[in-house]
Formats: sequence, C-alpha cells, structure tokens
Amino acid sequence: MFQIIIKEFKEFLRDKTNLFFFLLFPVVLVFLLGNLLTSMDKADEVIGEIKAQYIVQTEDQRANIAIESFVKAIGDDSLLVLEKANDLETSKKLVGTDKLTAVVVFRGDPLEINIYEGSNQIKNRTVSAIMNSFVLTNKSISSVMKIAPAVILSGTSGNGEYVKQKDLGVNRSMIDYYAVSMLAMISFMSVMVGAGAFVGERQNKTINRLIIAPQNRVQLFLQKILGMVPQVIIQIMVIMLISVFVFKAHYAATFTENLYLFFFFFVITLAMVSFGAVVGLLIKANPMALLMPFLWLMMFFGGTYSKEVNIKGLTQAMPIYQIQQAAFDLAIFGRYHKVNTIILIAGIIIIIMLTTGALLFYKKQEER
Amino acid sequence: MSYYVSVNNLTKKYGELCAVDNLSFSVRKGEIFGLLGPNGAGKSTTLSVLTTLAEFYKGEIRVDGLDIIKDKMKIKQLIGMVPQDIAVYDHLNALENVKFFASLYGLRGDKLTQSAKEALEFVGLTDRQTMKPKQMSGGMRRRLNIACGIAHAPKLIVMDEPTVGVDAQSREHILNSIKILKDRGATVIYTSHYMQEVEEICDRIAIIDKGHMVACGTKTELVSLVTDVQSLYIESRIPSTFNIEEFKKKNELMPDIKAISINESTFRIDLPIGQNSISKIIEQFISLGLPIISINSEVPNLDTMFLTLTGHEMR
Repeated sequence: MFQIIIKEFKEFLRDKTNLFFFLLFPVVLVFLLGNLLTSMDKADEVIGEIKAQYIVQTEDQRANIAIESFVKAIGDDSLLVLEKANDLETSKKLVGTDKLTAVVVFRGDPLEINIYEGSNQIKNRTVSAIMNSFVLTNKSISSVMKIAPAVILSGTSGNGEYVKQKDLGVNRSMIDYYAVSMLAMISFMSVMVGAGAFVGERQNKTINRLIIAPQNRVQLFLQKILGMVPQVIIQIMVIMLISVFVFKAHYAATFTENLYLFFFFFVITLAMVSFGAVVGLLIKANPMALLMPFLWLMMFFGGTYSKEVNIKGLTQAMPIYQIQQAAFDLAIFGRYHKVNTIILIAGIIIIIMLTTGALLFYKKQEER
Repeated sequence: MSYYVSVNNLTKKYGELCAVDNLSFSVRKGEIFGLLGPNGAGKSTTLSVLTTLAEFYKGEIRVDGLDIIKDKMKIKQLIGMVPQDIAVYDHLNALENVKFFASLYGLRGDKLTQSAKEALEFVGLTDRQTMKPKQMSGGMRRRLNIACGIAHAPKLIVMDEPTVGVDAQSREHILNSIKILKDRGATVIYTSHYMQEVEEICDRIAIIDKGHMVACGTKTELVSLVTDVQSLYIESRIPSTFNIEEFKKKNELMPDIKAISINESTFRIDLPIGQNSISKIIEQFISLGLPIISINSEVPNLDTMFLTLTGHEMR
C-alpha cells in the first residue's frame, strides 16, 4: 500500500511543474498581491462614517439589557453611529436610498437579528462584523444571567465589568486577505492534481500495468488518492507557514482556530482532488487546458485576486467566494458555522467522488 | 499434449467492430510463441484479453489450467506484460520504476530490491539504475520496459512488439534476453512486425489477419502450407562435351531431388523443404568435373508465405 503513496509523493516532489503551480506560485501571489498591489485595492481606505438604525422588537429583558449595553459600548466615538428607531418601513426606505448603511432589527425570543443592508459592501461587512460581536456580548450576558442574575438586572453591569467586547488586536492588511484567498485558490487548483494523476497514468500507459497487476482495483484507486494526501498537507502547510513567518500574514487569532482553518482547507482540497480523479478517469484531454479556464474565471469573479470584484449574484454564486467568506468568518470573527457547513458539503463530495472514481477504475479496461 | 495457454474461440468486439473473431490457439510450456500479423490484425487485442486488460465477448482462455474469468487474480500473478508502448514513470529512476512495478506483485523488502536489480542486470542496465527514463536512449528505455515486466519472475511473459524503434545493438540484446528467459523456463508470447525476429526466436508462429487465424505452426510447417519445395541454384562452367540430358536423368533418380533445370551456366535443383542433400549434389558435380562458381539457396520466407496465404503484404 505504501509503495503507491511513496511513488505518488516522489513524483510530486520531482515534478517541477507541480512544485511551481502548487507551492511557489501561490506563495509568490500572496506576496505580490498582498504587498505590491495594496495601493490598487481599496480595502485599506477609510470607509467613513457608518450610519445605522436599530429597532428593538423583543420583550425579553435580558436581550434588552444586552442591546442597550451593546449600543452604549459602541459609544459616540465609534465609526458606527447607531440610532434607535421605531418604524421599520421608514428605516428601510432610508437604507434603500443609501441615506442609511443598514437597519438592524432585534426581534423574538430567543433573539433574532435581521440586518437590512444598503449597497456599500464594505460598510455592510463592517456592520455584520459589529453585530457578530454583539452576538458574543449577548451570549456572555446570558451566561452571567444564569450564574448571577441580580447583577445584570440591577443594571450595575452590562457595559464593562462582566461584558467586554473582544478586541481582536490585529491590524489586518491585504496580505491577510490574500493569505486566505490563495489557500482557497490552491484548494480548487488541486482538482488538476487529482485529474493529472490519472491522466498521467493514461498518457504514459502505466495505467495498463496497474490494471493487469494482481491488486484489488478499488484499493489501488484509493491508494492513489491517499498518495496525494501528503502533498495536499504540504502545500497547505507551506503556504500558511510562509505567509505567517515570512510575509507576517495573520490567519485566525488562536492556534486551535488556525488548526481548524488548516483542516478546513485540507478537506476542501481533498474533495477537489477526488473530483479531479473522477474527471481524470473520464477525460482524455490535458486537465490543465480543460479545467484552468473555468478555475480562473471562477477565481476572478469570486474575488480571489481582488476583493473589489463583487458582481451581485454572480460573485456570491462562486463556490470559491463562499469558501473565502467561510475562512474569513473563522479567521476574523471566530465563527464556525459556514466553515462547518462547507466541511460537511466537502465531506459528502469526497464520499461521492471516491465511490464514483473507485467504480470507474474498477470497470476500467485497457488504455490504447 | 498439455498446453500452458489455450485460447478457444475467442471473440472480442469494440462496438460493431469485431477485432478478434473466433480465434483459437495453444501455447506449450517453455516455448516462444509468435503472433504475426499486420496492423489491425488483432494481435494486441488478443494479448490485451490474455493479460486481463480487456474483457472479451465470447470464448475461453486458460493459463496454467486456470480459467481467466474464474481465477483472474491467480492468472494475473503468473503473467508479466511488456507492452508495445514504453510504460514507465518519468520522474522515477530505473531502479525505482522496476521496484514499483514488482511491488504490485507482492514483492517486498530485500527480495524486492534484489529482484529489481537482477531484472536490470538481465536487460543490461545495471550501471544505469539511477538514471531516469528521459535521460536514456530509446533502446535503453525499451530494455527498462522489459525489466519492469519481468522483475517478479512471471511464468508467462507477454511481449507486444518489444523491439519497435530500437537500434540494432539493443534489438540483439532484447532477442538474446528473450531466448534466455525461455531457457529459464518461462513461456513467452511474442508479437512483432519484424518477420526475421519472429523467424529467429519463435518456436511456433500463429499468423493472424483481420481477427482470424490464418495459420499456426513451426516455420517449416507454415512454409509447407504454400510450397513443399526449396530451390538450389548452382553456377558452374559447363564443358561443351557435357551431356546435360544424361546429367538430369542421372540426378533425377536421387530420391531427394524433385526437378532439375538449367539456364545457361546455372543449374536449378528443387528439393523438398527440410531435406538437406546439398553435400550429395556437390559430390555429383565434382565427380562429373563440373567446377562450382557459386551456390544459392532459395527458401520461401514468412513474407512470401504471408503474401500467399492472405493475398496482401504484412505492411
């Protein structure tokens, strides 16, 4: 079993094209896009004042305390000006004409938060990030409420002693953006690693030697996929380590979150490798020529190369965009929901693709 | 007689195209069996089916008494394939390539390394074992291709045109290697475009054309299908007093001679194939005082035989 894994790994390390595309190229892109093109990207520009309104439609006492303490914590010096409103329809009209960035509605028990956003994407993301910190605040208040409700209800707390906003303490730059987006890029480009593994076997006719060997074909297929796991681990690790230690990029705040981010990209990459393997068993063409145009278009419209590319409806429909957003959610805000959803989807893709690939390889006849 | 490989009524179709049609042949243990035929004759398809690379539509194949459908894995273990195309990994060196393919047959550890090195030594690549295929000449790559197919010491070696595009030296080396494999007890099934190669190394030959078996047997048996005569041409200086009719009459009485004709100073003597009466004939010439200037023998070769049997040339 290890013979195939070792063989695959040796081939990966000795193939200069692989090393260029899957190790050097993304690292160089992190550096180039993150440093040299920073001035061309608007992400570091001042986004100005964000005016938003909030409407409270919940009777829950704890939620009301949390909301008020949250608004108070934001204060007057914040770039977010949060005003209380009562009429949702009027507020929505103001948002529609961009006189307001957003209107936030707190309703129900348990508390639900609805954000009606305007057209400025960057300001929308800021509001979303701030409301995320409110969710943490609310959770903290709920926790304190269970332990010492008197403290909360007496109003002696809520704005400092028990509830503090998490300070991420990180001055993020474009390097951070590209450190994540390049990982997403490399995950998707790994579809070519999977495809190439089988197209390569077919092109140099070694697939016939594999087929006639007294080996279980399903095991052979899985061993080949398993043989690509070390290279997947290496390519993600190398990009993450070089980004952090050489380019001083920031991923997540904690080691655990970074480990989870690694796992997240590992699972996606493995899903892409498995998908590529199926493609490689089905097509005869050069996988790079066939898949690269689709990948580049998806990455372009998905904002991999510039977060300024945002075509409503199209950008959000790009899988790579969703993966980047999930990674940012985890890295910046510590949110796991999107990441977990994508891991689940990737896991399902891996199972489907491995089953399909194993079946195709099992049925495979000679290659001429 | 027991056969190591027997193929009975094999039919293989690619869609509507019938690549092999009701083909039957048998291979004896320890012999080199040649499959001869033009492009598209069905040679490679037959080998593909035989090596379990391709499924077949109809027929029965047995190797070492095992059924290819029921005992596929056992048969795979017995077979070593040397494909027509060089099938090696460019990023692995010669030794790594041989070791990898031998490992697929269950060899491990020291035994694996030893077998791989022996296979490389056998094909004359011991001093090239750290070279990658791209650094090798075409002939060396061909030999590496063979080493990858034989390192696990298979009992049945299937070689599909292993000498295509190689230089004379490598071809000679490959052909000698095949003879040595036979001497070691392996059964070899061999296909080639080169008639001379097949004539030189094969014990028996099957001629296939358009998926059908045209003929099968030893070279002598095959040639005898189209003619039973070989001709001997002896050039001499015939004295004016020499009585040709008397000479013909005298020699035609010899049991091995079928006919004699004379054209100017050259005698043509037809003999049955397989008979060697040359020394007796030469003695006759000398006793009659006929000096011999040159002797040429014309035996119908496989090319002639193929043309006669199929109505078209090999290539």
